[in-house]
Order: sequence, then C-alpha cells, then structure tokens
Amino acid sequence: MLVAGIDVGARNVSAMILKDGDMLSCYVLTSGEEGATVSRRAVQEALKKTDFDFADLQYIVATGCGRNSVPFAHRQSTEVVSQARGAFHLYPSARTVINLGAESSRAIRLGENGRVEAFTKNDKCAAGSGLFLETMSTLLEVPIEQMGELSLKADGFEEVSSICAVFAESEVISHIHRGVPKGHILAGLHRAVAGRILEMLGTTGIKGDVVVTGGVARNAAIIKELEKKTRLSTIVPPEPQIVGALGAALIAQDRAAKS
Amino acid sequence: MIEEFGQYRPSRHEKAIAWKEETGGKVVGVICCCVPEEIIHAAGMLPVRILGEHEETTEADIHFPTNLCPYCKSCFDQQLKGRYDYLDGLVIPNVCNMIKAMYGFSKLLLKVPYVRFLEVPQRLSREGVDFFTRELARFKESLEDFAGKPISAEALRQSIDVYNENRTLLEKVYELRKKSPPPVSGTEAQETVISSMLMPKEEHNRLLNQLLEQVEQRNDSPGDGIRLFVSASILDDTDFLELIEECGGMVVADDMPMGSRYFYGLVDSSDDPLRALADRYLNKIACPRKMLPEERLAFAAEIMNGANVRGTIIHNMRACDPHLYEYPLMRQRMESQGIPVLFFRGEETETEKEQQRADIEAFIEMLEE
Repeated sequence: MLVAGIDVGARNVSAMILKDGDMLSCYVLTSGEEGATVSRRAVQEALKKTDFDFADLQYIVATGCGRNSVPFAHRQSTEVVSQARGAFHLYPSARTVINLGAESSRAIRLGENGRVEAFTKNDKCAAGSGLFLETMSTLLEVPIEQMGELSLKADGFEEVSSICAVFAESEVISHIHRGVPKGHILAGLHRAVAGRILEMLGTTGIKGDVVVTGGVARNAAIIKELEKKTRLSTIVPPEPQIVGALGAALIAQDRAAKS
Repeated sequence: MIEEFGQYRPSRHEKAIAWKEETGGKVVGVICCCVPEEIIHAAGMLPVRILGEHEETTEADIHFPTNLCPYCKSCFDQQLKGRYDYLDGLVIPNVCNMIKAMYGFSKLLLKVPYVRFLEVPQRLSREGVDFFTRELARFKESLEDFAGKPISAEALRQSIDVYNENRTLLEKVYELRKKSPPPVSGTEAQETVISSMLMPKEEHNRLLNQLLEQVEQRNDSPGDGIRLFVSASILDDTDFLELIEECGGMVVADDMPMGSRYFYGLVDSSDDPLRALADRYLNKIACPRKMLPEERLAFAAEIMNGANVRGTIIHNMRACDPHLYEYPLMRQRMESQGIPVLFFRGEETETEKEQQRADIEAFIEMLEE
C-alpha cells in the first residue's frame, strides 16, 4: 500500500511517501508558489526516488497551515495531530512535542498511547519563530544555519530583553552599533527565544521525553537553552522538518487501511 | 428554527425604539446580569442589556487605555457613537472595577436622563443579602421617582412570575441539549438567551413556548458533533459558538453570563419580593466576582452533569481578571476528570478568528482520535 503525507508550511513544503507503513521517500522544498502547484511538485519529487508514480498513491493527507490548498488530498489533518503522530512514531517514549515552525510554534502533550492530551500555541507573537530567526540572520549577516554554532562558541552573552520581534530587532541593532561580538548577541537572542518557548509550555505542562520538531529545531543553541531551562534532555530528529509530513502519511496509512 | 431569536440582536435598536413609540414606555439599559430586571419591568419599563460590537472602537479609545476590558470598552463605544441614544435610563452595578468606571464615564459623557449606580455586595452571605435587600429598596424608590408613579407589590410579584417563567423555559431549551444528537445547537440556545435580555419578556416567553412545541417535529436538526462545554467570561453574541460548531463541535452545556448564568436559579415567589430578588441575584449567579473558585467549580460540574461532555473550551476576555484568576483551577479540575481543555484569551474584535479556528480544528481532531 502506497500513501503520502504533505505538510504545507509557511516556509517549506514537505512530502513523505510510505510503502506498507515504512518510510520510502521524502522531499522538502522551499517555495512561495501557490499550494496546489507546490504540493504536487513536492510529491512528484519524492516519487522520483521510487519506482512509483502519482497514480499509485492510494491515500493522501495534507497538514500544515496550507492544508486546505491541496486539491488532491483525501483528508486534512491539523498540525497538532500530525506533529504528535509523526514524533510518537519516531520516538514512542515522547510525551511532549515542541514544534517550532516558520511562523507558528506549539507545544503538545502526549499520553502513554501517543494521543494528544493538551496543546498550546504561540499567541500573536513571532519571537520564537523561524521567520524571526531569518530576520536576525539578515540583520547580523550570519547565515541562518551558522547561527546556532556561532552562539554556542561564544564565551558570553548580551541580554536581549524584549520578546517582541520588532523591539528585539532595535535592541540587536544597538548592540551591533556598540560593537558587541555577534556570538554574544546571538547567545542572548537564543536565550530570549527559549524563554518565549518555555512560557508557551507553561499551561500545557512538560514531561519527558521531549521531541523538538520543525525547522527551528536545527538551531543547536536554542535546543541547548531549552534543555537548560526545562532541565530535561530533548530529542531532535535527524530531519525535524519532515515530522509533520510523516504524521500525515501515517494518518493516510490508517485511513487507507480502513477504506 | 424560530428565527426571531437570532434576528433580534442585529435589529435590537429599531425594536426598542418601536417599543417606545408603541407603548410610550421608557427603555432602561443594564450592564451585567446582577441587575434585578424585575424591578424595572414592574415599573412598566423595558430593560435591555447593553452589548458591544466587533467593529473597531473609535470614540471610547481616548477614555479607556488599551489594557482594559475590550468588552466594556466596546459597550461604551457603542453608547458614545449614539447607537443607544434612545435610552431613558441606565443601571450600572458595582461589579468589576471596569464596569464601576463606566458609571462615572456615563454620568460625565452620556446624555441619559437617569443613571443609577447599584451597590452589589462582594460575597455571598446573609449580611450581604440584608444589605442588597435595602439597596434594592432604594433602587426601587429611585425608579419610582423616575417613573413618576409607585411600583405596587402586586406588579413586582407579577414581574417575578414572568421572569421565573422565562428562566424555566430557557432551562428547558438548555436541557434539550443533553439529548444525543441535541435537537438545538449551542448557537441556537445562546440566541434564545441573548434575545431574552433584549425583548419584552412576555413576548419572549411566547416564542420559547412555540420553540418547545415545534422542536419535537424539527426536521432540520443541527446534527451531531463533538460534545463540548464552554466556559466564558463574556461572549455577547453567538459568533464564537458558531465558529466552534462550524469546526465540528457541538456546544451542549455552557457557563457564560450570556448563557446559563443568566437564567440559572429562580426567585422565591413566596418570600418578600425584594428579599427574594436580593437572594437570587446575589446567591445564584455563578460569577467569579462573587463566588469563590470552589463554588464556581461546583456550578460548572452541575451544569455539565448529564451533558456527556468530551472537551472544554474556556474563553476569557482579555483583562477580565476575576475569570483569568480562576482559569488554572478550572483547567486542573477538568483535566483531572479526563476532560481536555482548550483556552483562549479573547478580544471583542474578530481579529483572532482565524487563529481561533485553527486551534479549535486541532482540538476537535484531537478529541475525535
């Protein structure tokens, strides 16, 4: 049985192909194209690495903020449920999933059986998001993939007190003007971001194991700060951006088996 | 089903003006459910609840800083915009600091001929009822002066009967939702309550009786959905419940001022009328401003009893401190009973509707699993 999960996020579109429940192929692309075109392309790219084509897909589930713009999907699933499903499949010991996406982030509490018990989402604030980190990357002229590393190497940090993306930007600019080393500014930024994420965890409650998913999970400095603040170790999947697509594909697998 | 309920709110101003022209009576605006409307009704006046709108506030902004209650601000904005210019009177109770502040603002900025501040004791107690009974006697006197005629004991008793009938009928409508599938939706149930706060009560009773008769033969039932309990600090229209029900939920029980709290608990018609009113309005309205958390949670448990609820959605208006303080306890209590909770800090405007939709969809998918 061949099924697909598609995660149409604010930045990336990921497709996951499962064959008889096993991960067969996946593909992540970054695009600003309209959802229908880009999601089809992601699935086709993922299929290129296999012996199958589009017509072989028995069931397709779409997730992510653009899930309703995938006309060929049989069903939609919300990010909360697909992220939980994907993370629990990869790590059955997971009891908390922190999903850090380009625009939104969420904390999800799981029960013993992997069912979602509670979740919270960032409200109105962009401070923990991938887009915020992109803005800071441009501002500091540090490529986004090097931000974590540079921050971890720093021997100190400069406080970024504001959790508002706009005010944080002006604070960072003033640090740059004063000649504060970039590593120190980044270390301060990552602390502030982790603090914001922790605030979100507040009402959901946090228990181990903690799995962190989404593109922002690739920033090792944020992960380290999160571990410090929660006093829990975290698990970051090798490809944290495909967890939602995997979850959607697993839901597609269930549905296809039922029908 | 009975369209008058849902249609009344949008046309409430025209309806109130028409009532005035027809009867020559006075229309008195009230804020909050702790104003004993029976006394206003017995004076031959029409009590109407002041409501806000989702539109941007423009007139009230200079008087209310942004960190204050958006609902009260919107209500006052509507008054400053002239939408309530037909009011002859306004009764503002001592409930929360914000509503208290509205009294001062109303005296200074509005041209309503009669504005009365109603003292309401803070805690439920015998002394509280004694005090409130005396305050209601003073309120009655001031209304008599304003009306230019006395309110007879007989008129007050009749008004109590009309209001008790309304409460009993509203409760019957609410009880219908315990069936599976419920023959009326949460949105429809709230429409009956909101219209009750605006319409002449006798007319509302007639419509409720009609609804209860027709509901048996209803062929356009709202259908089934994930059965939910909603606890809210203030939702002054049905938009939030509609959103929940669009997402596949079915609101089968609620704890809201413009929901079950409005009609819960009858006035004891065998007691002295003013004392009976004081007792009902002080002791039966499950508002966190008067009740301790334990009493509030007991009320929520009673309302939920038999409703077969699978999840709870809490909607607290931003800056509504009494409700925000009790939220962690409410959440804990629900979760300890295996009922998952989704929480919103709300605004009066609809700027967050799509965010809310995303969360409600996720919550319902989580409950369906």
